[in-house]
Amino acid sequence: VSDPAPAPAPRPRRLSPLTPLVRSSLLVVAVLASTWDDLLSGRPGPVGWVLLVMLVAGAVYGTASWLRTTYWIEADELRVDTGVISRQSRRIRVDRLQGVDISQPFVARLLGLAELKMDVAGAGTREGSLAFLPLHEAQQLRAALLERRDAVRARTAPAAGPVPVARPVEQGRILATLDLGTLVTSLLLSPETVLFAFAGAALAVGLSVSGPMGGVAGVVPVVVGFALTQVRRLSAYYGFTVAETPAGLQVRRGLFSRDTSTISLARVQGVVVSEPLMWRGFGWARLDVALAGYSGSDDSDGRPSASTVMPVAPRPLVLWLARRLLAEAGSPDPDAVVLTPPPSRARWAAPVRRRFMAAGTGDHLVVSREGLLTRRTNVVPHARVQSLQVHQGPWQRRLGLADLRVDSPPGPVGVRARHRDAAQARALLLQENDVARAARAGRSAGTV
Amino acid sequence: VDDLFAPPETDWRPVSPALARMRHVALGVAVLVVLVLVVLLAVLVGLPVVAWLPLVLLVVALGGWGWRLVGRNARRWGYAERDEDLYVKHGVMFRKLVVVPYGRMQYVDVQAGPLEQLFGIASVHLHTASPGTSARIPGLPREEAARLRDRLTSLGEAQAAGL
Repeated sequence: VSDPAPAPAPRPRRLSPLTPLVRSSLLVVAVLASTWDDLLSGRPGPVGWVLLVMLVAGAVYGTASWLRTTYWIEADELRVDTGVISRQSRRIRVDRLQGVDISQPFVARLLGLAELKMDVAGAGTREGSLAFLPLHEAQQLRAALLERRDAVRARTAPAAGPVPVARPVEQGRILATLDLGTLVTSLLLSPETVLFAFAGAALAVGLSVSGPMGGVAGVVPVVVGFALTQVRRLSAYYGFTVAETPAGLQVRRGLFSRDTSTISLARVQGVVVSEPLMWRGFGWARLDVALAGYSGSDDSDGRPSASTVMPVAPRPLVLWLARRLLAEAGSPDPDAVVLTPPPSRARWAAPVRRRFMAAGTGDHLVVSREGLLTRRTNVVPHARVQSLQVHQGPWQRRLGLADLRVDSPPGPVGVRARHRDAAQARALLLQENDVARAARAGRSAGTV
Repeated sequence: VDDLFAPPETDWRPVSPALARMRHVALGVAVLVVLVLVVLLAVLVGLPVVAWLPLVLLVVALGGWGWRLVGRNARRWGYAERDEDLYVKHGVMFRKLVVVPYGRMQYVDVQAGPLEQLFGIASVHLHTASPGTSARIPGLPREEAARLRDRLTSLGEAQAAGL
């Protein structure tokens, strides 16, 4: 047992004095960018004056806000007092903490600062955040909070197993890293590239028909949009590292702004393995996780999602990570689950997609797979099934087919057995309901 | 033959016939309003009867079709309380069957809008951690809704499982 970190004394502490600067960095840049010409010549225009006044007011308010913001740990609570005019006092119960993440936006990172984001059970959204602290202070506070949480939980609910001991400033054992070459290649092989190539070809045709001006006007937004999306992904996934810590799997990523988030294994609701068509030649896949109370947005809008555990890696590595994530269910192998396709008459309901659909249940998992361009394998442990549904439309009724849906908390994972034989769907529903109940009963002890 | 949506061991409990009555009344009022508007407009503009009569007939026909649908839909609702889970089925064209384990329930809603209060009914809505869980039972008699809510809440507490 290592020496526990010295808990911060129960006296109010302030955030970093650089906080106002980081918070208003955008405004500073805006003022400089719009008025540097005027400022250099010594006679700012009306716009410049307005911005300058805003800047000064912002600085005054920011400083006052910084002076009035304090935090401290007291009696198993993290207390945060804020507010310049009307005071607010937030109390975050330590034993309600699901996870504590550290994130470093770009400007904060330049100054060695970090934001501490606290994830509170039941709230669904991120309840509290402390911005900004010096990085080492944020790490210490994080370790102290998690350690105290474990201590409180051990005290209130005497667990059967040994109490996990959190170590201060846990870096963890690195399980997987993403090298730049693979990341760049995978981004170039994304579906957007295909669209881009098509758009390029179409524009080349347009160019030869309508002359250069029309072509250029069309090309510019497409190129800019494509480049922006890919650069955003590149900067978000740069230096992607998955490490194992006592609190769970830790994901670190980011080029300009560094993000650290910890996936508590007790909160894993399911995983998705995605394999875009163009990655299959390389045998690559991507891994996303669904967490309770934490709806990670999809990657489809081009914004990198927080639910990604591995943006791209060889499929065996992805599956190995998936098994790590499913440790609560006994680390079963999703590939070991036997998947069966829908009956052949389902071609009348989904002529093309039927050939890419499959679903099945194993000892610990219920799994479905579908997708022509991007093959998605959705995996949910029996113990995490929320509710079950059977749907049947009029056309399916004529064919004797039905859909089975497994409901999961909001997130990327959704197991759907589409167009199954109706009798089989019914049997699956009843069977899965029983299996899920047994699985829940088996592991209901000792979780939040 | 409807094995897919057969009740699990016990029988389906139907919802109150007041649900169909309420929806029939709402539908009737809506059809009447449309008819009055159509006739008024036609008279104001001065159209001959031949021009607007088909429209009136169409509205009436649609209303009659809706009347039948409403009745069938209300009869299709059913629920079954079992020891550890609740089954709900509904839908005529698009049929659905939902199983919600009591241990997965986060909370239970009972709602009664002004029209529903007039007919003495309420709807019970079960929520799990998944927004996809569409377990709603409309048109329960008020006492039955309260009883169901209390029973579900106590069972949910007794069997609550972690996320």
